[in-house]
Amino acid sequence: MPPTPSAPPVHPPPDGGWGWIVVAAAFISIGFSYAFPKAVTVFFKEIQQIFHTTYSEIAWISSIMLAVMYAGGRIFESFLIFTSLRIQCSFTQSGSFLGPVSSVLVNKYGSRPVVIAGGLLCCLGMVLASFSSSVVQLYLTMGFITGLGLAFNLQPALTIIGKYFYRKRPMANGLAMAGSPVFLSSLAPFNQYLFNTFGWKGSFLILGSLLLNACVAGSLMRPLGPNQTTSKSKSKTGKTEDDSSPKKIKTKKSAWEKVNKYLDFSLFKHRGFLIYLSGNVIMFLGFFAPIIFLAPYAKDQGIDEYSAAFLLSVMAFVDMFARPSVGLIANSKYIRPRIQYFFSFAIMFNGVCHLLCPLAQDYTSLVLYAVFFGLGFGSVSSVLFETLMDLVGAPRFSSAVGLVTIVECGPVLLGPPLAGKLVDLTGEYKYMYMSCGAIVVAASVWLLIGNAINYRLLAKERKEENARQKTRESEPLSKSKYSEDVNVKVSNAQSVTSERETNI
Amino acid sequence: MRALPGLLGARAPMPRLLLLLQCLLAAARPSSADGSAPDSPFTSPPLREEMMANNFSLESRNISLNGSPSLIANKWEVILVSFERKKERRGTFNFKVPELHGKNKPLISYVGDSTVLTCKCQNCFPFKWTWYSSNGSVKVPVGVQMNKYVINGTYANETKLKIIQLLEEDGGSYWCHALFQLGESEEHIELVVLSYLVPLKPFLAIVAEVVLLVATILLCEKYTQKKKKHSDEGKEFEQIEQLKSDDSNGIENNVPRHRKNESLGQ
Repeated sequence: MPPTPSAPPVHPPPDGGWGWIVVAAAFISIGFSYAFPKAVTVFFKEIQQIFHTTYSEIAWISSIMLAVMYAGGRIFESFLIFTSLRIQCSFTQSGSFLGPVSSVLVNKYGSRPVVIAGGLLCCLGMVLASFSSSVVQLYLTMGFITGLGLAFNLQPALTIIGKYFYRKRPMANGLAMAGSPVFLSSLAPFNQYLFNTFGWKGSFLILGSLLLNACVAGSLMRPLGPNQTTSKSKSKTGKTEDDSSPKKIKTKKSAWEKVNKYLDFSLFKHRGFLIYLSGNVIMFLGFFAPIIFLAPYAKDQGIDEYSAAFLLSVMAFVDMFARPSVGLIANSKYIRPRIQYFFSFAIMFNGVCHLLCPLAQDYTSLVLYAVFFGLGFGSVSSVLFETLMDLVGAPRFSSAVGLVTIVECGPVLLGPPLAGKLVDLTGEYKYMYMSCGAIVVAASVWLLIGNAINYRLLAKERKEENARQKTRESEPLSKSKYSEDVNVKVSNAQSVTSERETNI
Repeated sequence: MRALPGLLGARAPMPRLLLLLQCLLAAARPSSADGSAPDSPFTSPPLREEMMANNFSLESRNISLNGSPSLIANKWEVILVSFERKKERRGTFNFKVPELHGKNKPLISYVGDSTVLTCKCQNCFPFKWTWYSSNGSVKVPVGVQMNKYVINGTYANETKLKIIQLLEEDGGSYWCHALFQLGESEEHIELVVLSYLVPLKPFLAIVAEVVLLVATILLCEKYTQKKKKHSDEGKEFEQIEQLKSDDSNGIENNVPRHRKNESLGQ
């Protein structure tokens, strides 16, 4: 992990204790953020029909314009997928475009208030949605307000894991990310039950109250304050130095630095961050389309509707168990230092799966594909944010994830419609799967090469840093006395720093 | 072989049905054709026609049926018998009233809302649609009161009943009834009208649970922090005492401590 000299002193991560409760809270938040948009698209077809027949027809104009874009046989299917994607897109859009807003707020106020605010926003959005009378209102309330609330849930949850864990961080990440498939597989049938019992209005109302549980998750995310002993002893011994340094800094602050304080744009100069970002942009172009088109592909092969839906359940089920297990593997002594390679291999596994998918013609081979896909998807998702944390470090992670989501918004939104267009043009699904597989494999190769170079350069930099430190250690004792006093008083800090070094 | 429905006068009370049963023979042998109705309910005159054909080409024989729809048999059979009565070919025409598709799940709506009940059938053109509502066993036709019910359909094969300003009494079974030449077919749709209180109760219950949990968690946290502060203050006092005693030791003790730090730092 590259040391970040400009970052404020990191409070020692507890790596356990209350941290596991925080993981449970993050599990809930992440589950809501990822699973909720997907689970709700289940009833969009019916809701659109209801709006079409009972309310005005004006709302359909924009959707019809989009449908016209897709010429060809599967016009209704792509229209349906695209309109359901539009609501999901508005979730993702507000999640992505306003991701940096969430990062800024987390940087300033910490995770807890942001998650609680997110929960309240989600609830408000859904309650307003239950009173909406047109599809456009639905997009605005459910799409943007609830989407914003969900964005306010996702980023703080990921950030606080980085604050609470270091040694067991991959495991914690894997466990927390497992929230997504668990919530998806439980929300989808629950939504169907709600819809059958209360109709769409009642369901939205009750879903709004369920989303309020994100506030409970937020209240569990206890902020890690500085140690009481550290602050008090520092004020005794280092008072004069502390007073002089802020004064110097204040006169030097420029507009750029002010902006950087809220959202760390200097990340764009960070080599590891750029490699991660470019690799992910390529990957996400071909990452989500196979899931979205799995059921239509199965139906195309002649499989009935319920078995096709079952394929997705199989995938979600395998995903549920893959995430914590892969988190555990990534935490092991052998893999943790080379976690970037592990990430690249997981992506390559995904790509190879998609490339082999056209070979699956009958139902059992499709189930096998779904199992492997679930495994691949779970392993990538489990280490997706762990690798980012590993590259940029916990202090800058919050800004990093905000910037990453806003840049990734493009390929995530473009990928499925482009894939749909490819299916329309060629008339077959196998070309779409092969191209998605090729894109994902290309991304993995890029990440592999980029990270190999990065690791080498980092090792070189570390050697230079060590050499510099050795020359510095021959300096007078007076300076070292101050630093050692602080070290003695900070509880467990020394043992933690030594562990950090060995883990790299 | 196929059956062609004929044209008929619209809205005649007992429309006469003219059906054309067309039977195409692809055989190249001379044959004779018999048309008979094995399940015909009436006895005379037997609808039989015997035709003789001697050609070697595609033959088609038409049988026209005249009668009231309800008396038309549901099944017609064409039997082709070869000249020497050695071989037989049969073809059956099945007449069935088209099935209607409604919704198998009840439609749920709320008081004060409007809802639309739809009935449709594929590839069929009923000449009359009617809606009935039933509470119990009595079917009452839905009167087209201008401010309550609107019946329309964009295509001939579907019908839509729009009910505005729903009340709780509007819930119940609705029947859509399609009249064809051959008969009639109907479909059942269930409408459930709920008041706003129904989903409001679980909503308020969950909100109360959330408020309770959040309050509990935050209070627990404040309590443990207070406890920690008290114990920390006690520890701090001890550490300050230790500091005072350490400082008096002087510089000699710093050297070994410094080396220990160095080895740990690597």
